[in-house]
Amino acid sequence: MSIILENLSKRFGTLVVVDRVSLDVLDSELFVLLGTSGSGKSTILRLIAGLIQPDEGRIMLHGREVTTLPPQKRGTGFVFQNYSIFRHMSVADNIEFGLKIRKLARLERTRKRDELLELVGMAGLGNRYADQLSGGQQQRVALARALAYEPGVLLLDEPFGALDVKTRSQLRRSLKEVQQKLSVTAILVTHDQDEAFELGDRIGVLERGRLLEIERPEKLYAEPRTLFAATFLGAGTVLVGRTKDDQAHFGHLVLPIPEDVPHEDGTPVQVLFRPEQVSLTEDEPVDRSVVLGKGSVVEHSFTGALRRLRLRLPQLSATRQIAPVPPFGEQEMLVDAVVPAERRITQSEFWVSLHGWRILQPPEPQLLVFDQGERGISTLTMAKNIAQQLDAQATLFSVTRDQDELESLRDRLNRRQQEAGLVGAEVRVAIGNDPVEQLAVEQNSALYSMLLLAPQAKKRRSFARRNGRPERRRLRSISRLGTILVKVLSNAHLPVIVVKKEREAIRRILICTRGGEPGKTDVRVGGRLARRLKASVTLLYITEDSAEPGPIAHSHLERAALTLRSLDVPVETSIRSAKKPARGILAESREGDYDLIVVGRHDEESRSVFGRDDVTLQVLVGADRPVLVVPATL
Amino acid sequence: MSLSKTYAPRAAGRQSALVPAGILVLVLMPLLLMPLAAIFVFAFRGGLPEFWRALSDADAQFALRFSLLIAFATAIINAALGTFAAYVLSKYRFPGKEALGIVVNLPVAIPTVVVGTSLLLLWGPIGLLGQMLPTNLQPMFTPVGVLLAHLFVTFPYMLGVIKPLLDELEITYEEAAYTIGATRWQTFRFVILPALRGGLFTGALLTFAHSLGEFGATVMVSGNLRLRTQTAPLYIFAQFEAGNIANANAVAAVLAVLSFVIFFFLLRFAGGVRGRA
Amino acid sequence: MAVIVKNKVLVRRLREALPLVFLAALALYAIWPWIPLPGRTAKTHTIIFYGFSILAEVMNQGIFPAFLEEWQTASGDSVEFVSSFAGSGTITNQIIMGVPADIGLFPLEMDANRIAATGITSPGSWHALPHRGVVNLTPFIILVRSGNPKNIRDFSDLARPGVQVVHPDPLTSGGANWAIVAVYGAGIRQSPGNPNAGYELLLGVWRNVVAQAGSARAARTQFENGFGDALITYEQEVLWDQSRGRLRGEIVYPRSTVLSEHMVMAIEANVEPEEREIIDAFIQFLWSETAQRIFVEYGFRSVDAQMNQLNPAFGKIADPFSIEEFGGWERAKPEIVDAIWKGRVLKETVR
Repeated sequence: MSIILENLSKRFGTLVVVDRVSLDVLDSELFVLLGTSGSGKSTILRLIAGLIQPDEGRIMLHGREVTTLPPQKRGTGFVFQNYSIFRHMSVADNIEFGLKIRKLARLERTRKRDELLELVGMAGLGNRYADQLSGGQQQRVALARALAYEPGVLLLDEPFGALDVKTRSQLRRSLKEVQQKLSVTAILVTHDQDEAFELGDRIGVLERGRLLEIERPEKLYAEPRTLFAATFLGAGTVLVGRTKDDQAHFGHLVLPIPEDVPHEDGTPVQVLFRPEQVSLTEDEPVDRSVVLGKGSVVEHSFTGALRRLRLRLPQLSATRQIAPVPPFGEQEMLVDAVVPAERRITQSEFWVSLHGWRILQPPEPQLLVFDQGERGISTLTMAKNIAQQLDAQATLFSVTRDQDELESLRDRLNRRQQEAGLVGAEVRVAIGNDPVEQLAVEQNSALYSMLLLAPQAKKRRSFARRNGRPERRRLRSISRLGTILVKVLSNAHLPVIVVKKEREAIRRILICTRGGEPGKTDVRVGGRLARRLKASVTLLYITEDSAEPGPIAHSHLERAALTLRSLDVPVETSIRSAKKPARGILAESREGDYDLIVVGRHDEESRSVFGRDDVTLQVLVGADRPVLVVPATL
Repeated sequence: MSLSKTYAPRAAGRQSALVPAGILVLVLMPLLLMPLAAIFVFAFRGGLPEFWRALSDADAQFALRFSLLIAFATAIINAALGTFAAYVLSKYRFPGKEALGIVVNLPVAIPTVVVGTSLLLLWGPIGLLGQMLPTNLQPMFTPVGVLLAHLFVTFPYMLGVIKPLLDELEITYEEAAYTIGATRWQTFRFVILPALRGGLFTGALLTFAHSLGEFGATVMVSGNLRLRTQTAPLYIFAQFEAGNIANANAVAAVLAVLSFVIFFFLLRFAGGVRGRA
Repeated sequence: MAVIVKNKVLVRRLREALPLVFLAALALYAIWPWIPLPGRTAKTHTIIFYGFSILAEVMNQGIFPAFLEEWQTASGDSVEFVSSFAGSGTITNQIIMGVPADIGLFPLEMDANRIAATGITSPGSWHALPHRGVVNLTPFIILVRSGNPKNIRDFSDLARPGVQVVHPDPLTSGGANWAIVAVYGAGIRQSPGNPNAGYELLLGVWRNVVAQAGSARAARTQFENGFGDALITYEQEVLWDQSRGRLRGEIVYPRSTVLSEHMVMAIEANVEPEEREIIDAFIQFLWSETAQRIFVEYGFRSVDAQMNQLNPAFGKIADPFSIEEFGGWERAKPEIVDAIWKGRVLKETVR
């Protein structure tokens, strides 16, 4: 092994730039680190070169531990994105610089320099200065300079970033040649997937400081494991469905889940299919099992060898689309496909079916935290506690109307984050008039596992007079919780934790199953969360009067408890009678000092059991602790 | 080739350029050119021998030499200090950096007389620090005091030239040197310093020129002792006030010529650096 | 061809090196006197002398060389004089601020008193010297333009409307204080019955003041540069110019005027013990015949009336008076300069 990174971490302030990265690079390998800007790829390179020091972890180069060595002692060759050719030195002097410092004899130096100039195709240009060279030539000189003292490893930081397309492809080829000829171990950092595919013996995909996957280019394209790798490298459609009986369900489309993808019933599951895995036929295919539906062509472009098409299909039930990103309010599904260029597209509708796909790994838990940078930081504190318990990433999300406020809001969020001890959360600020809409877009843009927010009550409560009429009471609830929260709850498809008051950790969860309802989703979502949090669950059943609960209640609780036990969650049951279900739930939660109340959320149609009396809202208004609201459509 | 290049636009623009250029010269005549010419007219009014006699006066010789020595010392010390300050302000991040950046540039905005007063109030015999020093170590009214004042007043010039150069010189140049194996000193010596060379020369010349002409702070801290702390500008002022206009003008003419030469170097050097590109 | 090219390269090299060569030459010139070449001997003693403005020539050209000669033949030591001349207020302030002056020569005893008040020299120490420290005198006269076009004969003519007067600034110039006393005293002496005569004359003159320079010397330079019709100044100033043929103007001797007294003092705190002897010797030297003769030659009136016959240029003053007339500077400063000039005249003229 030439380069070994072990658990390398680097933080800049609260921002985790490199997060426990481990990596082995083989001898003579050209390894490509691929990631978006800000993913930490350059930071890893600088850590290896010793230009910055890691907070944690070890770095070994050719079997030598170098973690604490200064850059001068590491023997790395570094090619910078801006080349950093010394402007007051000729090309020859630039290349000889490392040799002079190593006090090589003059003859040896000139021989070496001429060799290198020849190698990078710059023979005869030794007397030029940087400002007499093109970008491509400067890049070649930088490479020659980095290779002159025969470094153990070569580190290249976006070496082609500043070049035009044609020079870039030339230089890629010559870099690969030089690297192979000298068989020097190299790490190249880029954000360009084509470059990664062309150059990399292996590719490491980085996202927010984490090394998600390390794979050969072909395999990475064909069989990505993570959503990020799937969408970052190459086009394709990603759908989210549900696991049921070891199969992935996307409406009527049912696909088998491979053994090596961990899954459990009821959890979301993602499928990726590349455009070339999509078949378009004029007639309905015989094999109905792989048919997505009938779609109409919305975009059509010709790229030489291929025709690219985008089709719009009816949405599959209980399925959500992540890629291509559906526009806000889009109810239908978009699928990209390619067909050979010679195939004429004469009609606007096709049957769309799959002849290949990839089931992706379940996503790492990710919290979406909505914070407008005002009032208390209990939401952030709660997010920190949950993130720690789940080892989850958090994204701080905020919306402003005003472009000018963007930076100050960002600063404020960072300060609050720090105050709450939330380390390394990503801060995203969207610009828009309607926070609810922006939040919905954000929920769709990534695979979040949970949304945290606090009630956004307005101070004015003019119509909050005591009044027995349910509608009035409902309006009062809304005014206390804020219209944002109520609207978010009514169209969220994520579990939502409403932070009324933060708790140190979640150890005891109260799941309220409500009179007469199975509440299957609530139990499952609460149970899975409990398992990951290693918390215990109490199932609560509320009877509406003081009468003895009937057998239905018992069997209902029994079934729910069984589900939870199958998840290895310690469970108790409790039956309570109360005039108003909400009051019963609140009383129980206070008596048992639970850390989290789990209640279901009914959509508009099923909100009829208690008439217009909305239990969820009442619980939210009355609760003095976090409440997890599970949407009905989950 | 270069001839035709310069000629063409001039010929084309002659008609329109003549009037504004003429006005500019007319404005500049009484504002800049004629006063300068007056120095030379007066300096040589008594003929070359008289000019020579005035110049070879012991006080005049001392004042010129003293001014030059102070200017050299100021330029050398501030070249080092200014480069250091520019490096720290350009390459490091620390709390209060912006405030420090303003502070180091403050001497540009402070009237030089105020600088002199403040130095007196700090280092003078009755000053905050000065009164703690034994008499023979007190800097005010000695050449050291003059040097202190000149260092203060000219501090920003070096910084102003070097800092933009360093800002432009991205950190990666140093990092490249480090990865290649150069020590911090080697990096400074072979990578940073050569990149700053033009700036160092320009900045030092600017500092030198300003020091040579400094009056306001010097008059406060020098005690205006002839043959001891009297700089050339102070000599000119003293002689002029005493009515020895010939003596004053002789030295003034020499100072003016020195300034012209330095200015010429500055122009040519700046042009030369661009010329190679 | 090759030679030309080579020459071109050489020329270019030379031109590139020119700034450095030039700067090196400047540096060499600057340090030249301090290069220890054979034959140069270090000066053993340095006397730092502060004097008011009109003393510059008489000290630099007359007194210092004469003393050096005398001292070196007597003791064999070499001495160096470093001197500074400015308005008396300026040098007094500088000495109080701590310039390392060994000796000060002031036109006003008040300046000496102010210095003594800071403790760097003992109060009244100069009274122990010959003539209570006074080394020479000079009367205050009027300098007018050649031909006296405004027909100015006395101070009272300066109060006429339309006459423009140049006067040094009493805040920084000792001479200006003398000039005020001269005018005020003349007014009083010429109208013995009128207690307000001094104030009235002073007010009349000050209504006509068009320029105030920092020192007596600077005021004269202003006058020479064309300001005003008349200048009230030391007689010595004018005689000195006259002796060099540089006088552009005429002296008018007022009927009554004051004789300014210039007194010397050692700044004891700045005198190193080993310098004591030479400094005392120098101060004593100022009353020697040699020194007094030089003073007279440069236009100062000697403390010894006999000496004054040596300079035929000295004009006759009908009614001279001294500061003792008004109780010395201790009383004249608050009563005349502060109360009458600053308190009444200045306010009146500003209005």
